[in-house]
Amino acid sequence: MAEGFRLRVCFRKAGRLRYLSHLETGRAWERAARRAGLPYAVTQGYNPRMKVAFGPALPVGTAGMREYLDITLTRFVPVAQVQEGLRASIVEELAPVECGYVSPTEPSLASRLTIAEYEVELERGVPPQELERSLDALMRTGGLETEHKGKQKFFDLAVVLPKEPEVMSDAGRAAVRVWVRMGPHGSLRPETFMSAAIGPGRPVAVTRTELFIEDEQGWIRPL
Amino acid sequence: MNDVWERVEPLLRQVERPARYVDREWGVVRRPDAGYHVALMYPDTYEVGMANQALQVLAARLSTLDDVACERVFIPWVDMSAAMRAHEVPLFTLESCTPVAEMDMLGITLPNELTYTNVLEALDLAGIPLRAHDRGETHPLVVGGGPCSHNPEPMAAFFDAILVGDGEEALLEIVASHRASMAAGLSREESVRALAGIDGVYVPSLYLVGDDGVVRPVDDAPARVTRRVLADLDTYVSPTCPVVPYADVVHDRATVEVLRGCSRGCRFCQAGMVYRPVRERPADSIVRDAIASLRCTGYEELSLTSLSTADHSQLEEVLRRLANRLEGTGTAISVPSLRIDSFTVPLARLLGDGRKAGLTFAPEAGSQRLRDAINKNITEEEILTAVDQAFTAGWRRVKLYFMIGLPTETDEDVTAIAALVERVFATARAATPPGERGGLRVAVSASTFVPKAHTPFQWDGQLPIEEVRRRQVLLRQAMPRKGVELSFHDAGSSLLEAVLAKGGREAAAGVEAAWRAGAVFDAWSEHFSLARWIEALASAGIDAAAYAAEARDRHGALPWDHIDSGLSSAFLRAERERTDRAETTADCTFGECTGCGVCPGLGVDVVVAGGERRG
Repeated sequence: MAEGFRLRVCFRKAGRLRYLSHLETGRAWERAARRAGLPYAVTQGYNPRMKVAFGPALPVGTAGMREYLDITLTRFVPVAQVQEGLRASIVEELAPVECGYVSPTEPSLASRLTIAEYEVELERGVPPQELERSLDALMRTGGLETEHKGKQKFFDLAVVLPKEPEVMSDAGRAAVRVWVRMGPHGSLRPETFMSAAIGPGRPVAVTRTELFIEDEQGWIRPL
Repeated sequence: MNDVWERVEPLLRQVERPARYVDREWGVVRRPDAGYHVALMYPDTYEVGMANQALQVLAARLSTLDDVACERVFIPWVDMSAAMRAHEVPLFTLESCTPVAEMDMLGITLPNELTYTNVLEALDLAGIPLRAHDRGETHPLVVGGGPCSHNPEPMAAFFDAILVGDGEEALLEIVASHRASMAAGLSREESVRALAGIDGVYVPSLYLVGDDGVVRPVDDAPARVTRRVLADLDTYVSPTCPVVPYADVVHDRATVEVLRGCSRGCRFCQAGMVYRPVRERPADSIVRDAIASLRCTGYEELSLTSLSTADHSQLEEVLRRLANRLEGTGTAISVPSLRIDSFTVPLARLLGDGRKAGLTFAPEAGSQRLRDAINKNITEEEILTAVDQAFTAGWRRVKLYFMIGLPTETDEDVTAIAALVERVFATARAATPPGERGGLRVAVSASTFVPKAHTPFQWDGQLPIEEVRRRQVLLRQAMPRKGVELSFHDAGSSLLEAVLAKGGREAAAGVEAAWRAGAVFDAWSEHFSLARWIEALASAGIDAAAYAAEARDRHGALPWDHIDSGLSSAFLRAERERTDRAETTADCTFGECTGCGVCPGLGVDVVVAGGERRG
């Protein structure tokens, strides 16, 4: 079924609301769409629901600067008008960044968005050179064994890290930019990766800064 | 005001569901520069407390005062409270993340007896002395209210004042009085004493318990505290822009209160006694507030709430108008607390247009004799007709509530529950097309009778727990197995409820001892320990089993005699006597006055919006 107008919204999950779960964030956006008076389509059947789909889940505690959702509208509303309506209907911490229409036949966000860019902020006082050394050492091992909720997992770093992590040493911060490839093999949590590199307890904040679609031409933004 | 967020945030990484503690929801009103700060607390988790409509009503009323900030407080879950204690983070309000101890007033609703230890937990986490007489000049006034205010004694020592009855106007008067006292430089003691001058406000420190068990004022405080009643519910709009939670709360939907009070007169039901008279809101106001609320909140579900929504004289009109307005929006309308005898074919059809949530009915007793004795005023034929209509209209699940241990109950009454359920199931099955019978479910929930203050059963004892358990087994054995899910409310927590519901001022020591022994979240079965409570109550000189089971002299003193709910004790006694003869009493909104005493005593009247009720 490819009827209606597929509106794509890029939004933030920031500040205190980084502590929302994926489900909670989704519910917040559905209600914002109702408050904004968008002409959303509803599913057929016993429990009619808003036709809305979200990108890959962001863990509780992780902020996002450019997260995505697709919502099906029954009629076209100019982008500027949608954006204005949404901005007035949701709190600043979840504010829309930009909106646009995409083809109604486009595959789902969850299947298309496979590259995530993170910024991991570390405790102050980790010297950049030491960071570089630790990251290099870990990358050279080629693999990473993790344990999450009692489950063992092995990540092949050449597959899950499509790009070498970058140490950012601007303005006295200690932060690392990490690109992770998400897929059927599961997704490596950037804080897990950083802990493996420099020891546990060091990351203080994790932000997903971008999400990309990976195709023949390279990495492209979903909007 | 000290914002403690910097100290709260590091704890959020180690606790479950941090969304409970972060604020920043849609609809939050923030007034950092207000001259007076009130914290309103529901003594349970965020998920339970955010569903409380009374707090939404009171917050909306307080928001009309420009210079007053109203902030929310809930009980941190055990992982969070442990983290807070380990890092010396005090209990904080959500809106400004200010320590509760820095507020001017802490308002606490008392929804049921199983939240009592949570109140002490909150005071302790806040660093406020538990007992009112230990508090100093800088501590906030601790003011209680809500259903349990009708027998305030077990919690009286922990409160500076307790409001009995409707809070729409009284809370604003309490705030005004306290502000005037502060402006006049009055001491804490003088400020608290001034509150006793407000109708409906009980100041426990001004009363002593005599050797005869009667609570009497020590000086010029009123001999009896008369319940506050809002005469016309339509004086104020229903709160249309409440805070919309992110977390999955208990009743996550827009709500409009359609009426207050219920005079069906079920003899076990405290709410049906102490919220009289019936006051309906007009259809126009209900529809207006419902649409405004859905628009402001973005909720996908609307609930029309009250003690007995289907009794509203204009409910069909309301549902029809809402259905027209909400067509195509995927908005569901739910009507909780449906009385069986007001579930009609047109109602079934109107509710069926939205989403069909499960349907819940409360026959309470299995036999006609016992239903008459408790004044349920419904017949088996009415029950089966309602089930037939519901399943014909497309419902596939029904939940039935019963009670075990009602006064005069016999084994025959218990097994009659099973027989009734069997006929309900057969009726439901017959009304369901053969192809859909697989999804057919009848859920049966049986709770234990708890005698409550200001009801005709206030003198009765509770069945001993061993006998309750024997009757539970009897019911389980008699209950049909196929398609029926039977669950029991824990008899141990009902025993505690009975002790605290019947208790006098002496019970306070037991509540405190239980909390000191680790009791908290007693309404959560994984945290409730009957053994701990029995020991704590014993340390306060209370034999829990004997206390709950004791029947009281119908002409003797009761621990709540100084609370005037408006009901005459002669009426309650007469109703109790009719129980023994299995005689029913009609609802006054459908017929003649039954002489309960509320309207003349409190100077109010029944308000029926449509002029007439059909029943």
